[in-house]
Amino acid sequence: MDITFKDVSYIYQENSPFAHKALDNISFHITSGSFVAIIGHTGSGKSTLLQHLNGLVKPTKGEVTIGDYHLSNDKKIRNIKELRSKVGIVFQYPEHQLFEETVEKDIAFGPENFGVEKSEIQSRIQEILPAVGLPKEMLERSPFDLSGGQMRRVAIAGVLAVKPKVLVLDEPTAGLDPRGQKEIMDMFYDLHQKQGLTTVLVTHSMEDAVKYADHVIILNKGNKYMEGKPEEVLSDQKALNKVNLDVPEMIQFLLAFEKRFGMKIPYERQSVQKLAVQMQHLLKGAES
Amino acid sequence: MRRKIIEFREVSFRYEDEGPWVLKNCSFEIYENEWVAIIGHNGSGKSTIAKLMNGLLFPQEGEIYINGEQVNQESIWDIRKEVGMVFQNPDNQFVGTTVQDDVAFGMENRGFPREVMVKQIEDSLQAVGMHAYRQTEPHRLSGGQKQRVAIASVLAIAPKVLILDEATAMLDPKGRTEIMNTVSKVQENKKLSLITITHDLREVVQAERVIVMNAGVIWDEATPREIFTKKDELRKIGLDVPFVAILADELVQAGIAIHDEPLNHEELLEDLWTLHSKM
Ligand SMILES: Nc1ncnc2c1ncn2[C@@H]1O[C@H](COP(=O)(O)OP(=O)(O)OP(=O)(O)O)[C@@H](O)[C@H]1O
Ligand SMILES: Nc1ncnc2c1ncn2[C@@H]1O[C@H](COP(=O)(O)OP(=O)(O)OP(=O)(O)O)[C@@H](O)[C@H]1O
Ligand SMILES: [Mg+2]
Ligand SMILES: [Mg+2]
Repeated sequence: MDITFKDVSYIYQENSPFAHKALDNISFHITSGSFVAIIGHTGSGKSTLLQHLNGLVKPTKGEVTIGDYHLSNDKKIRNIKELRSKVGIVFQYPEHQLFEETVEKDIAFGPENFGVEKSEIQSRIQEILPAVGLPKEMLERSPFDLSGGQMRRVAIAGVLAVKPKVLVLDEPTAGLDPRGQKEIMDMFYDLHQKQGLTTVLVTHSMEDAVKYADHVIILNKGNKYMEGKPEEVLSDQKALNKVNLDVPEMIQFLLAFEKRFGMKIPYERQSVQKLAVQMQHLLKGAES
Repeated sequence: MRRKIIEFREVSFRYEDEGPWVLKNCSFEIYENEWVAIIGHNGSGKSTIAKLMNGLLFPQEGEIYINGEQVNQESIWDIRKEVGMVFQNPDNQFVGTTVQDDVAFGMENRGFPREVMVKQIEDSLQAVGMHAYRQTEPHRLSGGQKQRVAIASVLAIAPKVLILDEATAMLDPKGRTEIMNTVSKVQENKKLSLITITHDLREVVQAERVIVMNAGVIWDEATPREIFTKKDELRKIGLDVPFVAILADELVQAGIAIHDEPLNHEELLEDLWTLHSKM
């Protein structure tokens, strides 16, 4: 589904002494089927922006369009339930979306709510569990008696069970172990491609942004600061440093290498293996 | 010899009487003025260890000593004054109605004099970049802001034992580095024992020692440099090694004889420079 933000501002506790503008006149367009990363320093407005995508909040000013659904301050959102069956959000803290007595009930809650048949729900659960790295025995447990990373996996499973068209992920790998981080991101990417999803990912991992996204939006203090191709936007160290961010680690290294050796290796999303070979050539070549 | 601050003696723990053992026969020691990182796959027992350290849980087998005193029902009130902890989800620990009340709470409990409290609130909130939010209700903060405030609250107390359970998971890498530098300064100045539980491999590198957990068992305990030489084994138990270690490995494969396991960019570049000038 296409997503458009047009002059969107969002103010928390409007008309009170505590009013706080979290989004300030933001516009952008996300084409259906793309994978977009949203990046920004602490408190820049990322989670607030995501909450517009399934109508958890309405813009204070401006308009948000998701497919055929329109959200604006003066209109009541029509078909909100239908919108929520199409847009699945994995929240920043998994505890915020777990509430049932057992893991199984928790994962089944979404699809049940949207009228999916019991047998279909069961088959979805069987399919999703291994994809999020949870053993079957976990189904009977309480979601609150799990480790942080296990809760995260249950929360993700619950969103996938609805089979949304738009996948909205707010730092979905925070709390996962290194293998889990990679497996779960690969799994999202696979779903994204196979099912033609539109994916919006908030992440602090510049590496993941360059690896998976085809478009990136940088937020700064509620404003859109930059937007474009990940490898271009995320290699602009000067611009990123200005808003308290940094380039991916490989680019940091390439810059340090250039400073030390006076030799430039361009960043082209190469593998570490490729980089090692490039360095070897340069260092050997410089000698003869 | 450094003073022993934490000791786990053959500790085993399970959450339910007939349930599976979550920690099995774990023994280790942590010293004064030491930074130890605990890493391990999801569910390996890291947070459980943290909760045993401040008496939120008690082991069924074995003993735990903090600063020479055994952790049990009688000693927990004393021990909790010495052990400060930031939980994996900061929502679980906010008590104040405003950010500054929250930072004040731990100090009030420990009987800090008023002038000290006022100064510590200022300093610690400045240090984590949250001073502008001192009047805000904690539940109205962003995910990363909550983590920053939770860290300010323990920094203000500077307890003898400081445990951070994935306390910077919601920060960007730059913010994470800044906060960890701040924490590390307090640790050194006050000679605290700092225990960081983390999945961030770059953060692990900064610790003096690493305890690696695997399925409730201590799998290894060594310096980061030693740990990160075991790339394949670490990957088998759900972990990984930092970018520099991977690059160093690939350089060796490509025929460049890196000798020591580098831990950061500077070390690797230095090593390359030495090799290069000899080529
Ligand atoms: N309250 C509880 N009741 C029952 N079992 C629990 C409870 N809390 C944790 N467990 C189980 O104990 C094991 C260890 O959990 P712990 O939270 O210590 O893991 P962890 O290493 O911190 O993992 P993570 O990286 O995911 O945070 C897990 O298998 C978990 O499911
Ligand atoms: N419920 C709320 N009430 C009032 N202000 C809020 C609320 N939630 C967030 N804010 C404020 O709005 C701003 C944007 O918050 P948001 O959660 O969108 O940030 P974020 O980019 O997701 O940050 P992080 O990376 O820390 O999660 C912050 O300054 C925050 O303090
Ligand atoms: Mg957020
Ligand atoms: Mg944990």
